[in-house]
Amino acid sequence: MKTLIIILSTILFTSITPVWAQSEQYKQAMTDALATMKGQSEKTPLPDMLATANQFERIAGAEPKEWLPRYYASLLYVYLGFMGKEATDKDKYLDQADKYLKEAQALSPQNDELAVLKAYIAQSRMVVDPMNRWQTYGQPFQDAIAEAKSLNANNPRPYVLEGSGLFYTPEQFGGGAKAACPILNKAVEKFTTFKPISDLHPTWGKSNIEPMLAQCPK
Amino acid sequence: MRLPLLLLTTILINTPAIAQTVVKGRVTDAKGRPLPGANVFLKGTYDGANTDSTGRFQFKTRRDTATLAVSFIGYESVAKKITLTPPEINIPVRLEEVANELNTVVITAGAFEASDERKMTMLKPMDIVTTAGAQADITATMNLLPGAQRVGEQEGLFVRGGSNLESKVVIDGMIVQNPFFSSLPDIQSRGRFQPFMFKGTSFSTGGYSAQYGQALSSVLLLNTNDKNANTGLNLGINLVSVNAGYDYETKNSSASASLYYGNLKPLFALIRQNVEWVREPVFAGSSLTYRLKPTKTGMLKIYGMYSDSRLAMNFRDPSVESGPAGPGKTPIDQHNRNAFMTSAYTDSWDEGRWLLNAGLSYSRNTDDMQFSGMDFSRFDERTQIRAVLTRLLPGNNSLLVGAELHNLALQNGVMGARYKLNDHYAATFAETEIYVTRKLAGRIGVRGEYSSLINQFNVAPRLSFAYKTGPYSQVSLAAGQFYQTPDYRYLYLNKDLDFERADHLILNYQIIKNQRTFRVETFYKNYAALVREFTGQNGTVGPFDTNPYRFPIGRTNNTGNGFAKGFDFFWRDQKTVKGLDYWVTYSYVDTRRLFSQYAMRTTPAFVSNHNASLITKRYFSDLRTNMGLTYTFTSGRPYYNPNRNNERSEEYFSDRTPAVHNLSFSASYITAIKGNFMVIYASVDNILNTRNVFTYRYTPDHKTRYAVGPQSYRSFFIGGVIMLSKKAKVDVNQL
Repeated sequence: MKTLIIILSTILFTSITPVWAQSEQYKQAMTDALATMKGQSEKTPLPDMLATANQFERIAGAEPKEWLPRYYASLLYVYLGFMGKEATDKDKYLDQADKYLKEAQALSPQNDELAVLKAYIAQSRMVVDPMNRWQTYGQPFQDAIAEAKSLNANNPRPYVLEGSGLFYTPEQFGGGAKAACPILNKAVEKFTTFKPISDLHPTWGKSNIEPMLAQCPK
Repeated sequence: MRLPLLLLTTILINTPAIAQTVVKGRVTDAKGRPLPGANVFLKGTYDGANTDSTGRFQFKTRRDTATLAVSFIGYESVAKKITLTPPEINIPVRLEEVANELNTVVITAGAFEASDERKMTMLKPMDIVTTAGAQADITATMNLLPGAQRVGEQEGLFVRGGSNLESKVVIDGMIVQNPFFSSLPDIQSRGRFQPFMFKGTSFSTGGYSAQYGQALSSVLLLNTNDKNANTGLNLGINLVSVNAGYDYETKNSSASASLYYGNLKPLFALIRQNVEWVREPVFAGSSLTYRLKPTKTGMLKIYGMYSDSRLAMNFRDPSVESGPAGPGKTPIDQHNRNAFMTSAYTDSWDEGRWLLNAGLSYSRNTDDMQFSGMDFSRFDERTQIRAVLTRLLPGNNSLLVGAELHNLALQNGVMGARYKLNDHYAATFAETEIYVTRKLAGRIGVRGEYSSLINQFNVAPRLSFAYKTGPYSQVSLAAGQFYQTPDYRYLYLNKDLDFERADHLILNYQIIKNQRTFRVETFYKNYAALVREFTGQNGTVGPFDTNPYRFPIGRTNNTGNGFAKGFDFFWRDQKTVKGLDYWVTYSYVDTRRLFSQYAMRTTPAFVSNHNASLITKRYFSDLRTNMGLTYTFTSGRPYYNPNRNNERSEEYFSDRTPAVHNLSFSASYITAIKGNFMVIYASVDNILNTRNVFTYRYTPDHKTRYAVGPQSYRSFFIGGVIMLSKKAKVDVNQL
């Protein structure tokens, strides 16, 4: 009878493990994928970047309730959108970014990081063809930034996007370093106190603005 | 101990799950080429891998059955149930490319599109505003495109041998009764609509869809914006007018209002006029736009406008021997009031598989006009409703059906007499787009029309095909029949006329690659049942009357006919010279028609055989200025010379005016004042001050010839607009 108990408990144990192991597996998979992502930059070959996006997509497929893998898959497609050669390629990646953003929003509405992502997508759509697209994407960009700020006043990333957008906007359109610096400095300020909810939550942005900050008056 | 043993065996039997299976294979495209970077995984698990540079993948799993999913950007994802038998299984996967603009053909014959929504178009909406020589007028820009013939003294679109009466302007599916400011003899009027109102423009030079009718030559399709570009107040001032606009927006709705007032006196004091103004044009108007998104998929747009304008001039009319303004002059006094309202509702159901486009519009136009003190007033009123239901089918196929109803009331005063008519026009249409493959598509449509005034029906078939010859190139063919109710001026006196008809055949080739576009199109147009006038004695063709304001009194019938044939090409290059964008167009048309008051088959007086244009644009970032230079060439047009023996076809309309040349320049300077976006623009038309002649008219004694030219030769214009709103930021990011 003792054996039976052992066996039964083994069965029970093994049947329980998947549940427990899955979240462990999720954490592990996310940590691995995030490590790969952190090692990548705009100099990373495009297929490698795509592979990392795939990694997050697979996690998303296995975890129907998690918004984070979808968030990172989308973010990687935004990067790919900047890296694509032709306008059609760029839009193809950004379509994919939109798809994962929508999935993530369905799982986690009222999420400041997803509002930031929405702004980021609008911004990269605009960059594809600024002369013809600012009218279409300018307003959604502004709206998403405002939404992110209202959802979480302490998140530095809306300021990162807003500041860098202004920084690269010609002065005659109300941009340039002079207009951008106060906002970039605000981002720096927010970064000093910002704590991500977990190791898996977004932390990016600080290094993006460093080269711009170097041109700001101290 | 038997029970545990049993349990143990059960567990053992179930253990295959514990044994690992290696899943491997190769992912290729339809042609067997490897797809590196594809995502291969078992659905709902962490088991999966990316394909390597040879398209191969390999991963391990403990599952016994699973759904294998394969996805790759730009390709249709595949999912299939597999049974996993250890130690390894090999699964080859083929992926089909997603339908996109590079691998799927688009039916384009005859159409010239400017859109932000479709990526592979030849023009962008911004091009309409930034083209020199077009004065930000939509029709003027269209006149620079292949297929259009420039006629300097009249408004409207003259396309491939057709007159301006053969083209229609359509906003959100609704025919616009008065797309231009009221016409004046020998003066080209501007369009009533601002280019910024529209998100898309499609100029068809023939072979257009069964959704549209009542145009023998061309339709200009304009689609209004779904949202405001900015919010807040904007103010504009230029040499002739001041205007103000206010845009307001909430989450599900937006509204815009605008007001303007203009007076051409200051400008005409600066620029020498070839027209004798008694009272320079003064105009005022307003517009209102309201858009509402009542549901996630629905969209309601309402646009209304009202304008009022007055002027008086002495029109140079050689036929006048004596009159209130002296010999050779006819005084004209005009007061125009125009109201136009159009609304459109669009919605979709069943995840976009059903689409509805419905609209209602009303227009009312009054021209209080006096010629030499005699009443020549005009009045028109058009009410129309329209609905189109589209069903999208798998594989890009679609089917649509629709109907429209118009009620038109017209009045025309002629020397004190008043002519009136009322027409009920109904049309129904069906059209299907069929993709045989992604490379070969066809559009088959049919349109039926009825006019109560002439009590006639017509049925017009339309066909087009397109075949993709490469990733960036395609050929298209379009054919069809197009009907039009005869000019209403004829119908006041004769209601026994029938529809006029044109048959189109168009062959097109285009290639869009690397910011370079080449397009060539050849066409043949057959005209039938055109209205002929017999204004002479005993019902014969009378002497040709060159007066642009003549009213056709006389016998009419549908015995006219003719043809137009030719080709045109378009080349645009935004790549070769960095920062420079230029395009070149050339159109050739050969046409002969027997219609209107022409005595025999001849090339009509509005036709120029050769039209060419060169458009250049460049943005100078140091100067913050966008500059453009446009050159146009229009070959000489036939004109009526009463000194010829006009009985002989060799001499009838055998004279040609000199060719018309025009070089124009425009610049816009963009800046911000205290964070408010501001644009200052300036333009010079006819820089070389060429004494262009559009046509000639003779005095009644045939001894003196008058040249009809532009309203002014070299002219300039300057203005600016400021957006007083912090939100009206222009984000030209160059990340």
